[in-house]
Amino acid sequence: MTASVRRILPSRAIVFVAALLILTGGCATAPNPADREAVAEFAALNDPAEPTNRAVFAINRGIDAVILKPVATFYRDYIPKFFQDRMNDVLDNLRSPVIFVNDLLQGEIDRAIATLARFVVNSTFGLAGLNDLATAIGMEGHDEDFGQTLAVWGVPEGPYVMLPLFGPSNPRDTVGLVVDFLVDPFNVWAGNTNRDYAILSRTGARGVDQRAVHMEALDDIERTSLDYYASIRSLYRQRRAEEIRNGKPSATMPAPGLSQAPAGGNAAASDQAARTQ
Amino acid sequence: MITRRSLLALLGPVVAIALLLAVPAAAGDFEQRAEKFIVSLAQQAIDSLAKPGVQRGERIKRFRVMFNDHFAVHAIGRFVLGRHWQQATDKEQAEYLALFEDLMVVSYVDRFRKYAGENLRVVKSRIEGDSTATVFTEIVRPDIGQAVQVIWRIGAKGDMLKILDVLVEGTSLSQTLRADFGSIIRQREGKVAALIHELRLKTAELKLPDKN
Repeated sequence: MTASVRRILPSRAIVFVAALLILTGGCATAPNPADREAVAEFAALNDPAEPTNRAVFAINRGIDAVILKPVATFYRDYIPKFFQDRMNDVLDNLRSPVIFVNDLLQGEIDRAIATLARFVVNSTFGLAGLNDLATAIGMEGHDEDFGQTLAVWGVPEGPYVMLPLFGPSNPRDTVGLVVDFLVDPFNVWAGNTNRDYAILSRTGARGVDQRAVHMEALDDIERTSLDYYASIRSLYRQRRAEEIRNGKPSATMPAPGLSQAPAGGNAAASDQAARTQ
Repeated sequence: MITRRSLLALLGPVVAIALLLAVPAAAGDFEQRAEKFIVSLAQQAIDSLAKPGVQRGERIKRFRVMFNDHFAVHAIGRFVLGRHWQQATDKEQAEYLALFEDLMVVSYVDRFRKYAGENLRVVKSRIEGDSTATVFTEIVRPDIGQAVQVIWRIGAKGDMLKILDVLVEGTSLSQTLRADFGSIIRQREGKVAALIHELRLKTAELKLPDKN
């Protein structure tokens, strides 16, 4: 896999662009150390390279507007739903080996068995993954990746990073992305047999498929948010936290509450009540 | 002839059942009340927003009523502003809350309409403490044919129920808004007035006739 994988992984050009952005974008301005709340907020945001990240985000949006979004819109609106479903099923099935490995690495034996069973059913009776028969017979799938595995192992996410082309991430998820890529049997096979086009086609197809699936939600967020970048950053983190927990609830987040205090009561006290509920 | 006694015997069980039903809502059926509350909200959305041929202005009017009836607008608005709430003047607080309500209404009126035809199914519910319940629902999106997990956090104050937060696939509406608004204030040296200005521009833009 080595030679061709090196060719597919970020090339020197991307490294150069990234270096340029870091040099020109610089770092976020830290707040006045005397303002403790602002300092705490800055630490919680954990986005020290915000100006650079915003610049990359702007470039990503430009590329999206010119290429990915039009292709995904055409795909969604003009390609028969039947074909879209088959494409989706094949791409999902191709991810199964990586999900299986990560299930095992997280010690989730039941989920690993479920993933393996789905892969066997869909690859055989489902005609090489063209049909997600497993879901049809009640074997629902789930997703996993090495970024989540690292999280389960206790590795912190690190600062927020906006990757060129790949979008929102952090050092932990970036490492996960690369590891998943390297252990994926499809990529290993394509790399060993000089089929770079197979890797590129699959990545492209996945990009278009996912862009089409999330089109409506992303359009709504872009349209209604005041700061699209900040909204995406928040959504990415919340979504990843949910994926790492495998959907199990967490009660640690502050949330709004119906204050029991009479209207016009002590603002600080009821704000505190809202935080603890 | 129906004697008084036989009438009593006949009506006895009815009266007993009526008395049982009249017992004040106990903690046990808080879950059920919360579930019914969400189901009735979904039904209202279908009844009043999904009808074809209703002008957008009229839909906005109807949705504003629905939104205020079902959501803890004041509590959510305050939470979203976070620590900046205390720094705002009374006038700014009032202005902010009015614009916050406006933004929610014009942002969600079209989404509610889009999803109004979809099936909302209550999966389960759970009580958190004595005044908050969580209702887990599944909404099937017709465009992709996939079910989306939507969680409703509901607060109770006496007989009144209000939605405190909505979580779609693990992402919370109030957390996301807090990040969004917080970022605007941070970029404008902590000025709530700057956020109010942005909110005014955004709501005006979203009120323009249908672009969908």
